[in-house]
Amino acid sequence: MKPVLQVKNLVKRFGALTATNDISFDLHEGESLALIGPNGAGKTTIFSQIMGELRQSEGSIHLYDEEISHLKPAARIKRQVSRTYQVPRPFAELTVLENIRIGHMPNSIWSMLTQQPDLDYERELANKVGLAEADHQRTPAELSMGDLRKLEMARTMATDPKVMLLDEVFAGLTTAEVAQISDLILQMRADGMTFLVVSHDLPALKPLVDTAIAINQGQEIARGSFNQVLADPAVLSSYLGEV
Amino acid sequence: MKLIETKHLIAWAAFLLVLALMPMFVSNGTLRIFIFANFLAVFAISWDVLSGRTGYISFGHPFLIGIGVYATAIMSKRFGVPVEYSIPLAVLVTMLGSVLVFLPALRVKGSYFALVTLAFMELAYQLVQVIRPDLTGGTRGIFGIKTITRGAENGYYMSMCLMFGIAFVSWLVMRTQLGTALSALGMQEESVEGSGKSTTKLKLAAFLMSAFIAGLGGAFYAHYVGAIAPRTLFDINFLFTIIVAVLIGGSGTIIGPIIGAFFLTFLLEFLRPYLPGAGRYFIYGGIALLLYMYQPKGIYSIVDKLIKRWRGGAV
Repeated sequence: MKPVLQVKNLVKRFGALTATNDISFDLHEGESLALIGPNGAGKTTIFSQIMGELRQSEGSIHLYDEEISHLKPAARIKRQVSRTYQVPRPFAELTVLENIRIGHMPNSIWSMLTQQPDLDYERELANKVGLAEADHQRTPAELSMGDLRKLEMARTMATDPKVMLLDEVFAGLTTAEVAQISDLILQMRADGMTFLVVSHDLPALKPLVDTAIAINQGQEIARGSFNQVLADPAVLSSYLGEV
Repeated sequence: MKLIETKHLIAWAAFLLVLALMPMFVSNGTLRIFIFANFLAVFAISWDVLSGRTGYISFGHPFLIGIGVYATAIMSKRFGVPVEYSIPLAVLVTMLGSVLVFLPALRVKGSYFALVTLAFMELAYQLVQVIRPDLTGGTRGIFGIKTITRGAENGYYMSMCLMFGIAFVSWLVMRTQLGTALSALGMQEESVEGSGKSTTKLKLAAFLMSAFIAGLGGAFYAHYVGAIAPRTLFDINFLFTIIVAVLIGGSGTIIGPIIGAFFLTFLLEFLRPYLPGAGRYFIYGGIALLLYMYQPKGIYSIVDKLIKRWRGGAV
């Protein structure tokens, strides 16, 4: 089976600093891969390169066999890869449903003018991520951090992705909210969604992923099953601080 | 929830009714003030569609209005083109001109964009004086442009219909998904891109819409006043009057710029007997400053809050 997403020898330099150093991996349909590593390891930089927000210095990115390395973010999202952000970036003065609408609306200006928003779909998506009916007309300022993450998930899902990149999806959530988002991810996996996940919440991450890659200072230090990677001495010393 | 509710349409109908009946209750002198308020409202809506929504603050709006004004004036006065053709053509030329202002928006943001657009206005001021003064009238401008109305009442109805039509259509557009996307662009451009939308297309749409309104307003204005001069058009005071009208009224709304334009025009006229000359501008500057400090969302927001409080008390 051909991989959905292929990252080949990705290098990103910021002047003298190499933030991503020769990172490669394949992601198959329905698979879930965790990227773990300490703060500043380069995980989010990899996400930004996959989405086209940062242009890689070397290497290439392929989606469904098509090279997307040269495409702008909007064009990549059109090819059904989408991401959430470490710090949620909602539209402050729009309601929850309008925030979701931005992800779901067509890209053509004429269609934006002539097509009515699909309110049922927006409500369904909001409910699916666990945003209560009472929150639908609220603005982001009235939401908790947990609800902001759910909103971010919903807006990303509204772009109709087949591959989702989740960046620190559990940060700032209560135990109940972590369980809710985990259930959602498992449900989406069962429906065939492919995930690349970054999280520092390792216990929450464990049941959600098949494999993991540990990186430190932009370089891969371990790869394998989640348990194997966590037991790797290099990971223990660099990531968990154990000898 | 419907995007256009009956209560909104009733409010628009009531607004139209008040505007239409105005000549029955006010003098011709007051109607003339209303005419300028209507034109200022059109220019303020035009500025708000671009800058109030997308957050790209344009200091070059008189450049766009000026293109509309000069294009129709040159076509009708110098080449005898009938007004019914010169006005739509002037709008088209303004929209083409807006692409020039759009190009910097692909690369620069914030104060840099504002400064680049300001340069467009100054450039236009210099160029119309030296390039083909036989057409532009040079420093003196163009006089004797064909007027399309005579008398205060006709002028009022013409400007009122223009302002109301533009306001209503702009409101309809802003109720669509495009309006939501343009507002989102002003709040978080990166997230709009991160939602798979082309920010370039959205910005271009905002520029073209804004230019359409500016060109239409400018062209009608030229055929109302019958005379134009570069210093009155490509002027920093004219620019700030437009921006202050939006800020006082409430940016990011359609009714806000109208409220601001009416408030500002009548305030300046009210102050005229007491403070002739530029002294009046200190008062309006002071009011704008106070409003911006204590209610940055403008008069519209104050009225909206009062109505909500009154409704809350009434229930």
